[in-house]
Amino acid sequence: MGETGTILVEVFFQTISYWWVIIPTIFLGLIVGGVPGFSAANTIIILMPLTLAMDLETGLIFMVSLYCAARMGAGIPAILVNIPGTAGAAATPLDGYPMTKQGRGQQALAMTFVASSLGGLLTTVIALATMPVLARVGFYMHSVEMIVVMLFGISLIASIAAQDMVKGLIAGFLGLMIGSIGTDVVYATPRATFGFLELYDGIPLIPALVGLFAVSEAFVIIEKRLIITDDARKAMATPSWHATFEGASIALKRWWHIAWTSVIGLIIGVIPGAGASIASFVAYQQSRSFSKTPEAYGTGHPEGLIAPESANNGVTSGTLVPLLVLGIPGGATAAIMLVVMQFHGVSFGPSLFENNPKVGYGMFMAMAVSYLFMMFTILPLSRYMSRVTTVPTIYLAPMIISFTLVGAFVPREYMFDMYLALAFGVLGYVARRTGYHVAAILIGVILGPLLERYFLWSLKKSDGDIMVLFSSTLGNVLWVCLALSIVLPIWFETRRKRREIVIQ
Amino acid sequence: MRPDYDKSPRPIGGELVIPIVAVAFTLYFFSSIWNSPWTAQVSGFLVGGILLLVCGIFFVRCISQLMSGRASLGFGTLFSIQDITSGRVGLLITTVGYCLLIDRLGFTLTTFLFLSLSMLILSHGKRPGLIIAISAAMSLGGWAVFIWAFETRFPSGWFETTMKAVLANG
Repeated sequence: MGETGTILVEVFFQTISYWWVIIPTIFLGLIVGGVPGFSAANTIIILMPLTLAMDLETGLIFMVSLYCAARMGAGIPAILVNIPGTAGAAATPLDGYPMTKQGRGQQALAMTFVASSLGGLLTTVIALATMPVLARVGFYMHSVEMIVVMLFGISLIASIAAQDMVKGLIAGFLGLMIGSIGTDVVYATPRATFGFLELYDGIPLIPALVGLFAVSEAFVIIEKRLIITDDARKAMATPSWHATFEGASIALKRWWHIAWTSVIGLIIGVIPGAGASIASFVAYQQSRSFSKTPEAYGTGHPEGLIAPESANNGVTSGTLVPLLVLGIPGGATAAIMLVVMQFHGVSFGPSLFENNPKVGYGMFMAMAVSYLFMMFTILPLSRYMSRVTTVPTIYLAPMIISFTLVGAFVPREYMFDMYLALAFGVLGYVARRTGYHVAAILIGVILGPLLERYFLWSLKKSDGDIMVLFSSTLGNVLWVCLALSIVLPIWFETRRKRREIVIQ
Repeated sequence: MRPDYDKSPRPIGGELVIPIVAVAFTLYFFSSIWNSPWTAQVSGFLVGGILLLVCGIFFVRCISQLMSGRASLGFGTLFSIQDITSGRVGLLITTVGYCLLIDRLGFTLTTFLFLSLSMLILSHGKRPGLIIAISAAMSLGGWAVFIWAFETRFPSGWFETTMKAVLANG
């Protein structure tokens, strides 16, 4: 066993000995991840004095465990009550919530726990093994390449719009227009801000998320006594562990799906500026594109739930790569980790693995151990968490509204953001009642500003020459992949239908 | 033979709300960037142009359905008397009130009032004792977890200030 192997084994056992930090932090992470506005980044900031008071190892393990658990926690309300805890879980309710309404919430939770843990664990191991290679991905991803990555995610709008293309496209492009509110990235010219200074930075994501999903959902669910159907309620009257094992088994049987969608998350995670929301949308879209049953997506299809959850947990290990190897944080949480670690006198970058190899490998090991612990501690909870769906809507709806609206206030502490969430709630309610997909609007709101930023940077660099979009080899490869991912599923579907006709 | 109710025109008035809002917003967006540098205009005109085109196609489709008698301008289930009887309008009013009052009364008190009132409206006044107990538990629990334990900066009012003083003085 080489020197690195010895360090890894040593760090692994050392990390396990911190179980008393990891297990409570996992539960804290589940809570803060599940409430919109309380991301892992916000919680680490809130608990910064505590983190700084801890010794280096404890602080590091605490932050990494919280980060992983919060990512997983964001999917729980997305599945149970159609409210993603963070933008990274915005693709989770597309198939998770229909499963809950069918009374399969316990299976869905078990599935997501297994997919998230396995996805996170696998990508942590891959990241550990291929760190030097992965760290260079960020160098090759310029604005042109990022435009294509964004388009991978945005193409999901077309899939969502499949049932009624015109209405789907209206929802998606309205979202893109709303996402364009705020100042432009080059000259800071305000656009469509209605005179509100609070909109100069663009539409804040949490109020949009809270309004479109939580508030609008609360106004819809009050029509029924319970979220779930009567048949589902009868089935849930006799809870058993069977549903948990069944969900875990469904996920484990799709191990290959977990593997490749989590790798999508890992690759997107290592690109600074990209994030879990992009990864989950891209993974969902790719999963649907290459599925043999694309028509089942959106109706409670296991693969539609596994793909975004594996991908957004793959992002967690991805964001650590540029942080540790290059000293460039790949996201907000990684940036805060950088500050905390620097306080302890640890400098990130190429010298980290020479001067402090235990810290460098320790962060990945903390992630791997957290995911291992999560698999065994959270999985049994699926049986009890799914009981939320049996709470009558007359109690559930006001609770959803009050706690999510105040969650919209938290990130920026503007009262305006609560009003904005309410406005998005009304928009979301009208959209739901009239057959427009709120997820399509949200994709536009999330990815629109990013796409515009990279598009403008590309045009500025090329003095307005649109052909810059096809000027790089990697970019062109990605364009071909994008075209194939759109064309191939259509071709497969046509071929399948022809074969069916021939057989008949 | 198909029954008569299948032939009744489909109400599409509600479906027109989002496209009309989209067109109005796009036109407002265009007006706000008309004299701006090209960097501020390019994506707005590109995305807005497509949105107007798609909305145009939708309007043409609706007009065609209206003219052939397959659709009517009714609002269907978007606005109905059930919105009042189910308590949805009441819930909307209390939600607006929650947003307006929370800055003055603080998180805990406003949440208690909001939860109590909304639940009473939705339950048509049944089981007030249970509702008040749930509302008190939820709002106090929220205060304990988010404000007291995590020191999250929620809107604060009389209750939060008093509790802070009480806890600070032991």
